[in-house]
Amino acid sequence: MNVLAIETATGACAVGLANAQRQEIRVLDLGRRHTEVLAAGISELLHEMGLRPRDLERVVVDVGPGLFTGLRVGVATAIGLGEGLGCPLVAVTSLELLAHGAALAGLHAIVVAAVDGRRGEVFVQTFRVGDEGVSAVGPAQVTTARNVVIEWATNGAPVVFTGDGVERYLSDFAAVPNGQVFDQPVPSVAAALALGERREPSERVVPLYLREADAVANFTTREREP
Amino acid sequence: MKVLGIETSCDETAASVVDDSLHVYSSVVESSIDQHRAFGGVVPELAGRAHVTTIGPVVRRALEDAGLDPHRPAIDAIAVTSGPGLIGSLLVGLSAAKAYSLAWGVPFVGVNHLEGHLFAPLLERPDLAWPMVTLLVSGGHSLLVLQKGPDDHRVLGETIDDAAGEAYDKVARWLGLGYPGGPEIDRLAREGSPGALKLPVSMIGDDLDLSFSGLKTAVVRATEKQRDVALADVAASFQEAVAEQLLRKLRAALVAHDVRGVALAGGVAANSRLREGVSALANEFGIEAHLPTMAMCTDNAAMIAAAGIFRIKRSGPSSLDLSARPNWQLVDVS
Ligand SMILES: [Zn+2]
Repeated sequence: MNVLAIETATGACAVGLANAQRQEIRVLDLGRRHTEVLAAGISELLHEMGLRPRDLERVVVDVGPGLFTGLRVGVATAIGLGEGLGCPLVAVTSLELLAHGAALAGLHAIVVAAVDGRRGEVFVQTFRVGDEGVSAVGPAQVTTARNVVIEWATNGAPVVFTGDGVERYLSDFAAVPNGQVFDQPVPSVAAALALGERREPSERVVPLYLREADAVANFTTREREP
Repeated sequence: MKVLGIETSCDETAASVVDDSLHVYSSVVESSIDQHRAFGGVVPELAGRAHVTTIGPVVRRALEDAGLDPHRPAIDAIAVTSGPGLIGSLLVGLSAAKAYSLAWGVPFVGVNHLEGHLFAPLLERPDLAWPMVTLLVSGGHSLLVLQKGPDDHRVLGETIDDAAGEAYDKVARWLGLGYPGGPEIDRLAREGSPGALKLPVSMIGDDLDLSFSGLKTAVVRATEKQRDVALADVAASFQEAVAEQLLRKLRAALVAHDVRGVALAGGVAANSRLREGVSALANEFGIEAHLPTMAMCTDNAAMIAAAGIFRIKRSGPSSLDLSARPNWQLVDVS
């Protein structure tokens, strides 16, 4: 099956293409230029693999949580391809891709995946990664890096931290005595390709924002000022 | 040549199929305005989120309404608004347009939203008499444009601060009326007396630039002085002040340029006082008035498709790395 993966949940933009014979992954940009690089990157990768867009049998897209504008570019692109080709879409989350990325690297541990949520916050979820695969321990949530660090330092259990939320607050996370940092700035595209092939397609794909449009609150306060 | 137009610059998600004889096969518009009402204006993050959920269904409907197979439509190109507008909204339409372009193997072209508005009168009146002066007024823009042909335009003047529609929204909010302010004030104004409040008409100078930012303050001050003025009278007086400025500048443009027609475009073109005024001016100058229907005044994708047809024939398609341009001015379109 020809599977295309789209990764735009962080400042990075990456794509992957896989079938039974071959798998190629490209990090296209690290500087939030999703709008400019994504479609051209997909086109080039298809060309390199000797495939036409019509050959795509599945498009898997990281729906977040993460950078809102990045997510909209990735999801809108997936929708355009899915609708345009009549090809099924598969949604994966940035946090599970980080956990699966740790699993692909051979880790067996409790993994805390954290994506930078800006304004002092991270999107975070805990996973158990072992021989039996990857399973979420709790739901994805928004909190401060500080809260995550305090929780795990108090808990004392061995833990692996990963994701661009960890890179962002590296000194805090690195200070947890029972913690280890697994460097992984981009959610795993290889994991997305694998999940995309075995997971049931979604009827509708929408970004997982995990946060109310806080522009709403800002807007209301701003407009009330004289 | 058949073109799919896509528009997501503000709160409307729109798609349309138009051909190069400017026949409109379909035009679908979904608005997220109900989500913005409580805030008295469009909330960018809410608009961006709404576009992501509506873009797929809206494009599909536009293709189906035009009798095309949504997975293999017989179209020759895609035209998409790439600016100006809200960045988080623009990039949804732009990303989707690039993806459809890849999927179907057809070229796409980025279109300036304001240039799109200039094509609206032409879609309803293919026999338009050129040259003409167009007054383009909406919630985000107010300009006077000289059009020598469908894709030959020159900006004669534009607002130096707020757009006319923005002034309507601000005054409506201050009066405790709903959002958007235009239709509500227009309705009330018909029951009021335009001479009830003394309001200054700004920008009486010789140039063709416009200004509306002082008008809200003027309305606040005048009503504080005359507390017994009825709401309908405030609405009528404000509407008269807006129309007087716009029509005065439009008249100056018609005096300065020898044209055969005058057109209205943009959301504020639905305003009844303005439509009357433009008709009267056309009569006075012995030229034709082009007043598009409501559906063509407000944001839609048929106008984007039409502009795209001319753009692609003149300058060719855009490349896949095209960026959204949230502040793209009409004067910079070449
Ligand atoms: Zn508009």
